[in-house]
Amino acid sequence: MTRNPFNAGGVPALGTLRITFPLMTAALLTAAISAPAMAAGTIAGTDIENIASATYDSAGGPVTIQSNTLVIKVDELLDVTVLSTDPGDVITSPGATANVQTFQITNNGNGGEEFSLTANVASGGDDFDPTLVEIVIDTNDNGVYDPGVDDIYVSGSSNPALVLAPDQQQVVFVITATPAGVSNANRASVGLTAAALTGTGAPGTSFAGAGQGGGNAVVGTTGADSTDNGFLAVQAASVSLLKSATIVDPFNGNRPVPGAVVTYSIVATVSGSGALNNLVITDPIPAGTQYQAGSITLEAGALTDATDADAGNYNGTRISVAAGNVPAGQTRTVTFKVLIP
Amino acid sequence: MKIFTSIVAAILACFCVASTTFAATPLQLVSDVFVERQVVKPDGSKTVILEKPNLVTPGDNLVFVVRYKNVGGATASNFVVTNPLPAAVAFDGTSDGLETVSVDGGKSWGFLGTLRVTKPDGTLRPALRSDVTHIKWNLNQTLTAGAEGKLIFRGIVK
Repeated sequence: MTRNPFNAGGVPALGTLRITFPLMTAALLTAAISAPAMAAGTIAGTDIENIASATYDSAGGPVTIQSNTLVIKVDELLDVTVLSTDPGDVITSPGATANVQTFQITNNGNGGEEFSLTANVASGGDDFDPTLVEIVIDTNDNGVYDPGVDDIYVSGSSNPALVLAPDQQQVVFVITATPAGVSNANRASVGLTAAALTGTGAPGTSFAGAGQGGGNAVVGTTGADSTDNGFLAVQAASVSLLKSATIVDPFNGNRPVPGAVVTYSIVATVSGSGALNNLVITDPIPAGTQYQAGSITLEAGALTDATDADAGNYNGTRISVAAGNVPAGQTRTVTFKVLIP
Repeated sequence: MKIFTSIVAAILACFCVASTTFAATPLQLVSDVFVERQVVKPDGSKTVILEKPNLVTPGDNLVFVVRYKNVGGATASNFVVTNPLPAAVAFDGTSDGLETVSVDGGKSWGFLGTLRVTKPDGTLRPALRSDVTHIKWNLNQTLTAGAEGKLIFRGIVK
């Protein structure tokens, strides 16, 4: 007797029934695809295959049967996070042309995905709007902005460096310029948004057939786009000069009479924040007076008149002292003497 | 894989026709799967529904249903159902709690609470659901002609 076991007894089949030997069962089971476990989850396109088997004793001896092979495909989850990775405000100054702010983009999805980038420099609620120069991808992955080496992001085009594998991260730099008119302590917010090219939307939005590996793509909890903001902070220093004179006359008085020596003192005070670099203090010798050779001091230290290694010089009409880089909150005091003939 | 499958199918078909022994007490085993979805009803309350696995992403809860039925005329005894867990699925319990499990690829079996897993340093720790590789139901019952039932287990897409 030969009966079709798929439909024995005239009862409608529940599904495909296959009878096989245990050896064959083992071969089928090991054929199941194993997927590497990642933070982002099973890779999109992986087939989940389920086969149940059963053994039982029949009149003819032990029998092993198998269920149908159930296959479902893991769809692509679209998720991304953007993180500003600067340790604090990025310091800028009035008119600065290349502020570098660093962001990290992470593909939290389970499929390879390309992301588009948008920088937002015109945020409300901050003190000024910088000008976007360009977005640069850290293509050599050294974490440092290398002008001319790292790729400039091209909007509306494919940027291979932004095709990220699941769990992969990519550092991106936003380069901005600071307007000249900003003041010390002004701050500006600079945002970077990354969006999955497959699509974005409310979590759960799906794109049929658009997933990696032939499945669908589904928007995850992040909405498939993400934004983070970093801040620019202006550090601007300014200097004020205060000049005073002390007179010693030949009669131990302090009148400006012939023979009196006038000691001029110039106090340069740097305020604001940051530093003033290469501060040079010059002062012409007043008409009708004679410069006293070798009388220049800086912070009470004597300087020579010659143009040489030290910071001071006298050129016949004026004194000049190079005070160097002076941090905000500090002063530099320069003195020199003239004789009233 | 496609070629492999068709070869296997051909071999199986061959056995099916040639072997009357197995056809004498045929049991059917059918595996099915659903995805749990939380949906918000118009009144704002949330409810969980089971739907066909049209969209499956990591973290989704799957419900596997294995249905069995004795469609033959003879009685089957010592009925044991084994379901290896797909690699991308983490075990999340069964509906009846009567299963034994394996955490070593089917070599040894027991109730989950009795099993141990060897840690990298050689010491043992209690096995967790995430360690489960196989599920087995030893039904200890005789399936007469027409008898049927179903076994349900849950898994989470890794």
